[in-house]
Amino acid sequence: MIRGTLALIVALALAGPAMAHRVNVFASVQDGKAGEEVVVEAKFSTGRIPALGEVRVEDAGGAVLATYPLEDGAARFPLDRESAAGGLSITVRTDDDHEGYWLLTPADLDPGS
Amino acid sequence: MKRALVALALLAGPAVAQDRPVIVADSYPMAYFAERLAGDAAEVRLAVPAGRDPSSWRPGLADIVAIQAADLIVLNGAGLSDWTSRAALPRARTVETGRGLEDELIATDTITHSHGEEGSHSHEGVATHTWLDLALAARQAETLAAAIARAVPDAPVDAALAALLADLATLDETGDALVTGTPVPVLASHPRYEYLGHAYGFDIAALDWTAGVAPDAGQIAELEARMMDTGARLLIWEVDPPAETREAIAALGLAQAVVPSLAMPPVTGDFLSGFREGVAELDAALASLD
Repeated sequence: MIRGTLALIVALALAGPAMAHRVNVFASVQDGKAGEEVVVEAKFSTGRIPALGEVRVEDAGGAVLATYPLEDGAARFPLDRESAAGGLSITVRTDDDHEGYWLLTPADLDPGS
Repeated sequence: MKRALVALALLAGPAVAQDRPVIVADSYPMAYFAERLAGDAAEVRLAVPAGRDPSSWRPGLADIVAIQAADLIVLNGAGLSDWTSRAALPRARTVETGRGLEDELIATDTITHSHGEEGSHSHEGVATHTWLDLALAARQAETLAAAIARAVPDAPVDAALAALLADLATLDETGDALVTGTPVPVLASHPRYEYLGHAYGFDIAALDWTAGVAPDAGQIAELEARMMDTGARLLIWEVDPPAETREAIAALGLAQAVVPSLAMPPVTGDFLSGFREGVAELDAALASLD
């Protein structure tokens, strides 16, 4: 078997569609001053924090529940357990046109689960 | 061994309601290996719906809920399935079979573009289809076997792993026999074959054509330019092209071989037969160049 030194493979295009416009998103439920909050954090794979953007929150059926501004890579909003019963799909789109998402399932909504 | 994989989308309920432990795999090769290793002791499901590429699939919340409920979640790793970093997966019940292969992964030089305040930048990554080097696939199978032995104690893992490794080794030898000496320059319709080329003696330059769609005049011109640059006389297709396309490519003097990437289940046969057919196509195409 021919296995020499690993070579850098030069592709003419992206290795996969998932590689384009990648921003990493994470969301969790935390206790805030006014009750339970969903805290959204976004960061590029390079480590850079997106300055501005928009956070779109959808329910399990794909209905848009709300949009919030993303500032300095973060956003937070109150958790409405009734509308979030089936989980939340949280999509971040940065002002320089990168997009990422995080899926918060019902199990994720229970701290300590 | 060929059994129909159950698409996760067809789940009627959470994994805990099943009689047998449930193993969910993020890609077909991992599902095939899991089936071989677990036998009848577990039910193996493919997370990705039929016809969807694991690299671009975005699951819904219900999909993630079902995946989280599995007894074992099997990931290829190497960045294949983007969704696996977009939701919380239970660490204790998740195995990434590519873990340990870090030194073997092939970097991809990806596109550089400019937009927004970020300016010019590029998206880098690694090649994802590790299983097309059967030596790497064997190591992934060994990692998976250890995880299944823990998650499904009733599974006859040791014997199954020995049989699977023997099958992979036999096929690996047929791949080794394809090329002796200097790597053969080859063009590929898609960037899928980095590991296959590295393992079996092909110096592959990838295009990015849409599967099953005839390339346009611009793409043909690009192909001719790449032929000149690389000296390639062979083109790898991921799926069988339209007849008129095959004729047009042949007219350029290129031999052609259909080599399934196997990220998704083949229409007929299984992982082993799909790989074997790909090797046979490459062998015939190489012979036509002599």
